[in-house]
Order: sequence, then structure tokens, then C-alpha cells
Amino acid sequence: MSFDAPTIDYAGLSPVIALTVGLVVIVLAAVFDSVRRFGPALALLTYAVTAGCLIWQWNANLDLVSGSLRIDGLAVTLSLLAVIAAAVAVLLAIGDPSETQAGRSDWLALLTGSLLGMVILAQATSMLTFFVGLELLSIPLYALCGTNLRRRESLESGLKYLIVGSVGSATLLYGLAMIYGASGATGFQAISDGLQAGDGMLSDSLTLVGVGMVAVGLAFKVSIAPFHQWTPDVYQGAPTPVTAFMAVATKAAAFAVFIRFFLVALGPLADQWDVMLAALAALSIVVGNVGALAQTSLKRMLGYSGVAQAGYMLAGIVTATQAGVDALVFYLAAYVAMNVAAFAVVVIRERQNGFSDDISTLRGLGREKPLLAWPLTIAMLALAGLPPTAGFIGKLYLIEALVDDDWTWLAVMIAIGTMISLGYYLRVVATLWMSPAGQAEAGAEIDTASLPPQIAGAQADPFEDSRADRRWYLVAPALIATAAALFFGVIPQPLVDFAQHAGDALSVWIS
Amino acid sequence: MEQVAFFVGAIGALGAAFAVVIVKNPFYSVLALVIHLVFLAGIFLLLMAQFLAAALIVVYAGAVMVLYVFVAAYVGGIEEPKWDSSPELRIVGPILAVALFIAISIAVLGSGLSALGTPGPDDVPAGFGTPEAVGHLMMEDFLIAFEAASLLLLVAAVAAIVLAGRRREDRKKQLTGGEGA
Repeated sequence: MSFDAPTIDYAGLSPVIALTVGLVVIVLAAVFDSVRRFGPALALLTYAVTAGCLIWQWNANLDLVSGSLRIDGLAVTLSLLAVIAAAVAVLLAIGDPSETQAGRSDWLALLTGSLLGMVILAQATSMLTFFVGLELLSIPLYALCGTNLRRRESLESGLKYLIVGSVGSATLLYGLAMIYGASGATGFQAISDGLQAGDGMLSDSLTLVGVGMVAVGLAFKVSIAPFHQWTPDVYQGAPTPVTAFMAVATKAAAFAVFIRFFLVALGPLADQWDVMLAALAALSIVVGNVGALAQTSLKRMLGYSGVAQAGYMLAGIVTATQAGVDALVFYLAAYVAMNVAAFAVVVIRERQNGFSDDISTLRGLGREKPLLAWPLTIAMLALAGLPPTAGFIGKLYLIEALVDDDWTWLAVMIAIGTMISLGYYLRVVATLWMSPAGQAEAGAEIDTASLPPQIAGAQADPFEDSRADRRWYLVAPALIATAAALFFGVIPQPLVDFAQHAGDALSVWIS
Repeated sequence: MEQVAFFVGAIGALGAAFAVVIVKNPFYSVLALVIHLVFLAGIFLLLMAQFLAAALIVVYAGAVMVLYVFVAAYVGGIEEPKWDSSPELRIVGPILAVALFIAISIAVLGSGLSALGTPGPDDVPAGFGTPEAVGHLMMEDFLIAFEAASLLLLVAAVAAIVLAGRRREDRKKQLTGGEGA
């Protein structure tokens, strides 16, 4: 046997290479004291180069390294969203207790490792890269959730995420093994061919159980009900910059592989899985929106709202059409903007209020600090799907794609979910603008007192920062994301082109 | 010759597996598990799965067992309180174990044994399962997954250091706090 080295297209692989080099440099930087303080700059530079490589490969459409990866519109667009989310997380984490306590370089190395997993996952076209990419995404995230080392909730959320995430991964791996058994292939295209060539394999119970288990495993990752129970707890306990990254980037990467695996590898089975996914989406919309109504913690509420939003996005896959994928990617991009704006404000408020994210801490913010109140207001209105925001256009596209493909009942579910969601999104807006400013201090005091006991037991939290609302690295992400959510609500065409670029990549497989 | 080797391997593997459960001292339990794995590797060799046999020895008998030995040595000396299982669990446990045994037996008798005594499926390529074939797969078809797995180990090591650093710091705090009081 001779060794046949696989052909490697370095241009196509450049985003992955850039991130890997950046990761290694960041890990090495931990050793040298003099470089350590430039960690965030180093990480941002890495992400900028990666984004540059992705844009350079914008029109690429080819398989890489014997069909392990594929760089195409879908991979490029969703990787870009993940890279943006990671850059925002780096900015929001400057001065955060989690980043300082874990060691700046270590924290950034974990973030970069997770991002690398996402970029690999978005390009994966083989079950092996799919699984390894997913683990590379997840394992650093488990640790990142626990990096707020002085808070019990943070450690608890890390442990919870580890256990639930491992159950999800195990289920997924089991399902992948069954699909391999049914199709005899690991490449996505080869699985599709193998399933169609096999005698009666399309309706064999082995295949169907495998498809079900893969769907469950991925549902754990994107927090689709009824596999969402970890989401509120982990979102609340994790350091907020990590929550922001997790909420946005994990969804982008996991939905990329969700789209690719179900539409390419399991495309021939679309008639079997669409009802199952539609039921999951509908359940997610109901459970997420109803669950969010009763929350008093802002991060917890955003966790439940994330479950509902994942339900809306899953509806895009249900249609198994290009219009559905376009709508999903558009919604994901809008979701990034809306959530970044919301979480950035939460980070700022937390630092000013002894790390409490209770909704009552927002009282009177509209009069005191309109520069903080407006981004959160617009983020909430966008998440609720009101015009003129990108969230409204996103929902419109999703509903249009669903109705065109005779999924009217699911479109109605989205509309009903939106109605319920107004109940909790508008409550935040009301708290921001209506309550008299005089109550703000009283509310803040109560919250500081009711704070959970800290492990260190220090009197004054050294990470509190009363001037957090003037730090450019915290305010800029909020303002830019808000501007984006508004801009693409008024002029959606650039974002529509962006989303269609992703959908076009799948034009061979779906109509 | 083959049959002798199989029965030696099978009896050894079963006997050692029983010993793992029966032996009182956890340290001997771990050693019995190592013996079990060595016999199991022998059976894999009989099945011409050289790579699996070698990986089993290196990963399980080597790395994982060393971990177990460390754990046994670390906490083994402490007299553990006997775990009190609830009466329901004491009844349900054995029932579940027997049910699982019956289910596996049905599965094995129903399908696996029909292939016994035959050379196995015909469409297996020559050299399947050898270290050489596995190496080719790793370096040719699945190069990216292989490399990504190494990066996964790197970030996992970083994650372990971050989380272990917390314990070290906390202990330092506890020690200095204790002195102050």
C-alpha cells in the first residue's frame, strides 16, 4: 500500500488555518507576561484575518481534503456570523470577572477553540468532521461557562451544560452510527446515495431511528424543546459575555450542520422527517414563549426566548426548500444583531449593579441613560418581531416560506408565538421607560442584598464598574448591533442577498 | 489451535470480569480489569482486528487503567461508608440486570450465531482492520477529523488547567484564612 496524500486546497482551507494559527499563538501568549495583556487584540486580529479569509472565499464552492469539509455560501455566511459573535464576546469580556479569574489568554484560547469548532462544523460534510467539530465547539464552552470561578451559579451552569451536552453528543453519535450502518458511508452525499441505493433503506427502522436520534442530539445543541431544560439555567449562570457568544454563535454553527445534514445527507428522507421537525418547532415556540412569561431574570428570559427563536428557525428547515434556508439564515443574522444588543446592555448593567440581571434593575433607565435604554428597547422590539426591525422582516420571510410550502399551520404557530412573546418583551420595555427614576435606587439596593453568597466573600466586588456605560468596548457593540437591527429592518436587501448566498449553495440538493 | 486460543481468551476474559466485581480490594479490582482487557485484546487478535487489539491495550489497559489506579490509591485508603441502597432499588436492580441479559441473549441468538463457523461477510476488503489500513484512513480520508481531534485535546487541556487553577487558588485562600483566624 502506498500513501496517497489527500489534495489540500489551502485557499479554501484558509479560514480554518488562520483560526488554528491564532489559537496556537494565543495559547503560547499565556506563557509570556509581556504579551499577555495584548490578548484581546491578538484574538480580534485572529478573527479579523479569519473573516478576511472567509470573505476572500465568498464565491468558493468546493470540497476540501477528500470530502471532509466543503466551503460554500452556507459555510461562509454562517461562519461569518459566528466570527462576529466571538469578536463581540472578546470585547464584552474585557474586565469581566470570568476573563480575569480564568486568566486572559486561557479564556481567549477557549473562546477561539470553540469558534474553530464552529467554523469546522459549518463546513463539515462528513460525519467524522461533523462530530469532532461539534465536540471542539462544545468542550471549551463547558469550561467557559464555569470560568466565573467565584460564583457558584457559574460552576453549576458549567457542570449542567457538560452533563446535558454529553447526553446530547452521545445521542447524536448513536444516531450517526445507525445512519452509517444503514448507508455504509460517512460523507453526506455518499449517505444520500447509499440510502437510495439500499433496498428499502429509506423506510428501514434502522435509518429512521438514526434520523430521530440525530435530530434529538442536534436539538440539544440548539435548545429545541423538549430538549431545552438546560438553557435557562446555563444562560443565567454562565458569565454574560459567554452567554452572548453561546446564544448566538452556537445556534449559527449548529443550524449550519443541521441544514446540511438534513437537506443533503437525509434529503431523500425529507417526507419522513419534516413532520417530526415541524412538531419539535411548534412545541419549542409554545414552551419557550410561555416559559419566558414568568421570568424575572433578564438572562433567563433571554434563554427561554432563545428556545422560542430556535423553534422559529427550525421551521425554515421543515420546508426543505431554498426559500426556507434563505429565511433561516436571514433570521439567524437578525438574531445575532438583536441578541448582541440585548446582552451588551445586560453586561453593562450587571457591572453597575453588583452582577444582578434582575429586570427590576432596569427601572428608570430610559430617563437616566437613554444611550443604554434605546439599544435594549430596540433589541426587545426586534426579538418580538415588530416593524421596522430586522426581526420583523425575518419572521415575514419565514412565514412566507412556510405558507408557500403548505405549512400554513406552522406559520400560524409562529404568529401565535409572536403574540405571546409580546407579553414579556414589552414588560422589559415598560420597565425601562415607565417606572419613575426614583425607584431605581431602591430596586437596585434590594437586588444587591438578595445576591447569592459569593465564594470569596469579599465586601466590595472588585469587578463592579460604575462607569461601565462609558466604556467604548461595551457600548460600541450595543450601538452597532442596534443600528444593524434597525438598518436591515428598513433596508433588508443587503441581508437578503447575504442569506440567499447561503441558500444558493444548496441549489443542487433542494428546489 | 484457534479454538484453544479462543477458549483460553474467553475463559480468561470472563474469569477476570467476575474477579473485578467480586474482589473486595479496589486495587485488585483494577488489576483484574487489566487482565480482562489483555484477554479481550487476544480475542480481537483472533478476529484479525490488530488495530483494535493494540488500541485496547494502549488506551484502556494503559492510560485509563493508570487513571483508575491513581484514583484507587488516592481514595482507596479511606474507609467508605457502605452505600445504602433503598429496598426498591435492591429489587428492581437485579430484575433490570436479568432483563438486559435476556434481551442481549435474544439479540445474540437471533442474529449473531448464524454467522458462527463461517469466514464472515465476503465484501470485506483485504487488510480491513489492520493498523496499516486504519493509518491510511486517518491520513488520507479523515485527515481533517484527525487534526481537529488533536486541537480538541489542546483546548481540553487548557480547559482543565483553567478549572484546576481555581481549586489551587481556593485552597491557598483557605489556608491563609485559617491562619488569620
